[in-house]
Amino acid sequence: MLLHGADHKKRDILFFSLPYLTVYVAFMVFPVVYGFYLSFFDWNILSTKVFVGLKNYVEAFSDPEFLSSFFHTIQFVVISTPLIIVVGFIMALIAVRPTKTGRISETVFFLPYMLSTSVVGTLWAWIFQKNYGLANQLLKSVGLSPLGWLTDPSIAMTSIIIATLWWTAGFNMILFSAGMKQIPEEIYDAAKIDGAGSFTTLTKITIPLLRDTSLLVLVLQIIASFKVFGQVYVMTGGGPYGTTRVLVQYVYKTGFSYFRLGYASAMSILLFMVILLVSVIQFLRKPDETQ
Amino acid sequence: MKRMTGLAIALLLLVSTVSVGAQNVQKPLEITFWSLFTGGDGEFFDAMVKEFNASQNEIVMKTDTVKFDNYYTKLTAALAARTAPDVVVMHQDRLSTFVPSGVLLPLDAYAQRAGIDLSTFEQAPLNNCKIDNKLYAIPLDVHPIIMYCNLDLFAKAGITKLPETLSELFTAAETIQKKTGAEGIAADNTTATYKAYTLTRMFLSMLMEQGVSVFNADNTKANFNNDAGVKAYQALSDMVNKYKVTPKGLDYDSSVADFRLGKAGIHFNGVWVTGLFEQQPGLNFIAVKFPALFGTNAAWAGSHTFAIPAQKSIDEKKVMGAMKFIDWMTNHGYLWAKAGHVPTRKTAVDTKEFKSLPHRADYADAAKYVFPTPPTSKWPQCYDTISDSLEESIALNRDAKTALTRMEQTINEILKK
Repeated sequence: MLLHGADHKKRDILFFSLPYLTVYVAFMVFPVVYGFYLSFFDWNILSTKVFVGLKNYVEAFSDPEFLSSFFHTIQFVVISTPLIIVVGFIMALIAVRPTKTGRISETVFFLPYMLSTSVVGTLWAWIFQKNYGLANQLLKSVGLSPLGWLTDPSIAMTSIIIATLWWTAGFNMILFSAGMKQIPEEIYDAAKIDGAGSFTTLTKITIPLLRDTSLLVLVLQIIASFKVFGQVYVMTGGGPYGTTRVLVQYVYKTGFSYFRLGYASAMSILLFMVILLVSVIQFLRKPDETQ
Repeated sequence: MKRMTGLAIALLLLVSTVSVGAQNVQKPLEITFWSLFTGGDGEFFDAMVKEFNASQNEIVMKTDTVKFDNYYTKLTAALAARTAPDVVVMHQDRLSTFVPSGVLLPLDAYAQRAGIDLSTFEQAPLNNCKIDNKLYAIPLDVHPIIMYCNLDLFAKAGITKLPETLSELFTAAETIQKKTGAEGIAADNTTATYKAYTLTRMFLSMLMEQGVSVFNADNTKANFNNDAGVKAYQALSDMVNKYKVTPKGLDYDSSVADFRLGKAGIHFNGVWVTGLFEQQPGLNFIAVKFPALFGTNAAWAGSHTFAIPAQKSIDEKKVMGAMKFIDWMTNHGYLWAKAGHVPTRKTAVDTKEFKSLPHRADYADAAKYVFPTPPTSKWPQCYDTISDSLEESIALNRDAKTALTRMEQTINEILKK
């Protein structure tokens, strides 16, 4: 029995995406739905689940640790997002040049991104270590007094942001340079003939034509920044005294160290709603601006 | 002919039963276990398991080599699914998280059947494994907080006696600082890779030295916003803020490194760093039990224990095999002592193997003064919270009343939930 081509296609699509879909449903869709369900319960894995309604959500808003962790996360997002985007953009400007330095710098800028969180965290924890770390050795060698990079509450978050910048800016560079490579060369040639300098070219051609890419980078970066966890966990453990504790870290601790799965789920859902809100706002803005 | 066939069949049957019997004897019982030891500890533990396997041919201990950084997360999941291994290593302070859910077997009857003489154990750590008078785990070791002293720096500073009281401690630390330029007391008071747990461990020990437990009797309220708490907090704060014998912002790794490199006179830490310090060339130190700063001896201690998870159906043979393993491991605690830990069994301490180990004998009696952590499932969270709270108040040089009132509020909030 022969099938119509369209049916074939449908069947093939389903068939070929089945392995991915299975994994996606099992490890993504199901946990998300189950997490939402759990957020209305009191459960420590070993006990029977007790339905508590909105209690977990109410608790979050009166839990000073949740609120401070949330605040630290916002702090991280607000400071790190523009920095990582701008640095990624500058890196891309250097990397797209069709020269040898361009190609080499592209590799150099992207390399850190390939390292795992724990490697990056451990590396920077050692660089910033107060008594034996590289950063303070450098400061001492030029006659400055050493800093408590990770132990002084006023600069610990900055240190984490520096490490994150070094680690992840390369990813934005890849997105930006991909966007830059799609801008037709003729536009630049025309601009050159019209006598536009490199600054004008940058502000009037490159940046406006990268609007879509920039929006994508912005949204991805905000989401990634909200999810900050690993480098904080390894570098400061949330310290000194909880001043760099971020939301995902608190969720992790609550869920997997203190085994309050319901409360941890509720906090994750709250984080999810914030990220969703930010993303929706970003994408809604898009048509207005292009009009 | 018929008789011959009959005989042949009988013979065949006999042979097959014998061979089946022989197989039963030869094939050892496989018992699975999980342990949480990594790095230095791990090598000693693995070596012990290997030696146990070689010492007899009835039981073979098998472990899955999994990453142990999320040990309790994995263990909890396995316990919930009733797929946990036959024996597990567990910290004593985790027992109250698991016991109420019925996922661990009470061991009293099994210990008796296996012929384990519980009176050969140091009673303090053994009793810490009891909940509602039932034994849920058997302690392999205790690892109390102790005091390390750099003997060269002591000599250089002209101090001939190890500090035993609070004022002697501060005097010694100040003298060392003045005369040698080294740090007086290396005790971590800032979170880095680890929280400033040493502050909490000292705080709990100092409370208990005054006969005060950190929570009330039924673990529903904090019990440190009182005279004993003020004295304990003040001592810790003075160490950093008044006498300045401990640098502010010192984290755990730095405190260990400072003592290891001979840059600190006194160091407070668990016994587990002994092995590390021993390997340091030129470091001349002594390790002694936590001093009785407030009159009597008491020391916070962690304790590694063996527990037996409840399975879907209990296989008595495996449980008895596991008990045999536990018996052997605790009896050979002197092998484990190489990792720095204090054995919990007198039969392990009273051996020439243990006594010939340097340093360990100096603090072996610390096991007598260990006290149980509060038997509540909230303990891990409270332990973290107390550490953060002490760290914050000492860093900001808060007075005792303010510091303890704040900490009391937070802890009561957690205990209420």
